[in-house]
Amino acid sequence: MSAIGTLARVPRAAFDFANVILTVPDASIGQTPREVVWTHRGTTLYRYRSSRREHAIPVLLVFALINRPEIFDLRPGNSFVEFLLAEGFDVFLVDWGVPGDEDSEMGLAEFVCDELHWAVRETLLASGQEELTLLGWCIGGTLCAMYCALNPVGAVRNAVLLTTPIDPSDSLYARWVGHDEFDVDLIADSYPAVPGAGIDLANKLMKPVANYVTTYRRLFESLLDGKDPRAGYQSMAKWVADNPPFPSRAYREWITWMYKENRLVAGRVRLRGDRVDLTRIEQNLLVVTAGADHIAPPAGTVPLLELVSSEDVTHLDRPGGHIGLMAGSKAKHEIWPELADWLSDRSGH
Amino acid sequence: MAKASDPKADAQIHELYEQAESRTAEAFEELVSKPSFGMLLARSAENVAAVTRISSEIADLVLRNLRLAGRADVTRLARQLHRTEDKLERLLQEVEQLRDELARGQASANGSSVVATDTRRKRTPAASS
Repeated sequence: MSAIGTLARVPRAAFDFANVILTVPDASIGQTPREVVWTHRGTTLYRYRSSRREHAIPVLLVFALINRPEIFDLRPGNSFVEFLLAEGFDVFLVDWGVPGDEDSEMGLAEFVCDELHWAVRETLLASGQEELTLLGWCIGGTLCAMYCALNPVGAVRNAVLLTTPIDPSDSLYARWVGHDEFDVDLIADSYPAVPGAGIDLANKLMKPVANYVTTYRRLFESLLDGKDPRAGYQSMAKWVADNPPFPSRAYREWITWMYKENRLVAGRVRLRGDRVDLTRIEQNLLVVTAGADHIAPPAGTVPLLELVSSEDVTHLDRPGGHIGLMAGSKAKHEIWPELADWLSDRSGH
Repeated sequence: MAKASDPKADAQIHELYEQAESRTAEAFEELVSKPSFGMLLARSAENVAAVTRISSEIADLVLRNLRLAGRADVTRLARQLHRTEDKLERLLQEVEQLRDELARGQASANGSSVVATDTRRKRTPAASS
């Protein structure tokens, strides 16, 4: 194309670029039809509607506390939930809601021993099954690992942990907040619910150029090339910008136990007096790590493989980032089928 | 009339730009991984938190003196509601457990093989989305 031709496209591309950015809040995400099964405080358990449930064992999806769980169901055609339903799974999702100041006393024990435990119970009641699969992502994976360690025998048949921090001692987060100079108590005392925007800022600062320059440059280039990246860009951008607050007690415990004292991998976390001993995990276990994950690097997850007592342990290390691995455009052709294959072998008919 | 640009030159310029961006990204990632950046971030977070707390306390004090419900008052009420909800949830679970036990007892007394799961409740979904 001539230089003049390219230049002539710039105003239109700029106009489209502004439009794409400004209309991000209007994008629709999490559109797969679902029903509320149970609610408690801000937590909601959803069951996705399906006309073909082939596998008996339901799948309970658990996401992190610092972003919304719609990443599991980003948009039609690129939705993990939609994919699982098409594969014949009975899919449930626990949504932690948007904590407010009144949730400041919600700690990790409340999330693991109450909300998650009750969501498991309600999933079994709604599905009429005795067992389920727990599929956790990021902090959601850590919560699931804690739950499995506390309940090695019982409802959870399979545990799938996606890009899950277990031993984050060498991570960038640990370098930022693990030292004594970072006063987690001051932050937790000041905010009943630590603002999600602050945590999002920290996440983005880990890769400042990629997050603040490259993303926008690529969007502009693709508009200049006459492509239509709107649907893909906007759904992800909307999800990224939606950051619920982190209840202060959970935040204090998460930073202290994981990054300052690295207690989980050492078996020194106690929830309601019970030691969270990862060696007690006996469930069928699938651990997925992403090679380019800067938030939960693979080195911080793999120690779990050596700790657990499970006889059936699978580890998949795939190229990709913390979120991109599961929500990128390649996911539905690469990692999702692998997850579905693993699950279908262990989910009955 | 303008000449068509050389595609090779365009590609080279693009590649050079991407290299520059990539190197800048690496440099910034190295910068943010330094302990000093961590310190800076920690101090900034603490300062923002302290200022937020002071302004929040002042705003609450003003509202309270105007005899209006402030954020702290609303939070206190919400906490009480949450405690009530917690108790109700636990009570509901106890009732369900007792009902299951009762059903099991009746089933064994009748010599029936009715399983307790038959008596499990099916909650009516509160809403759909």
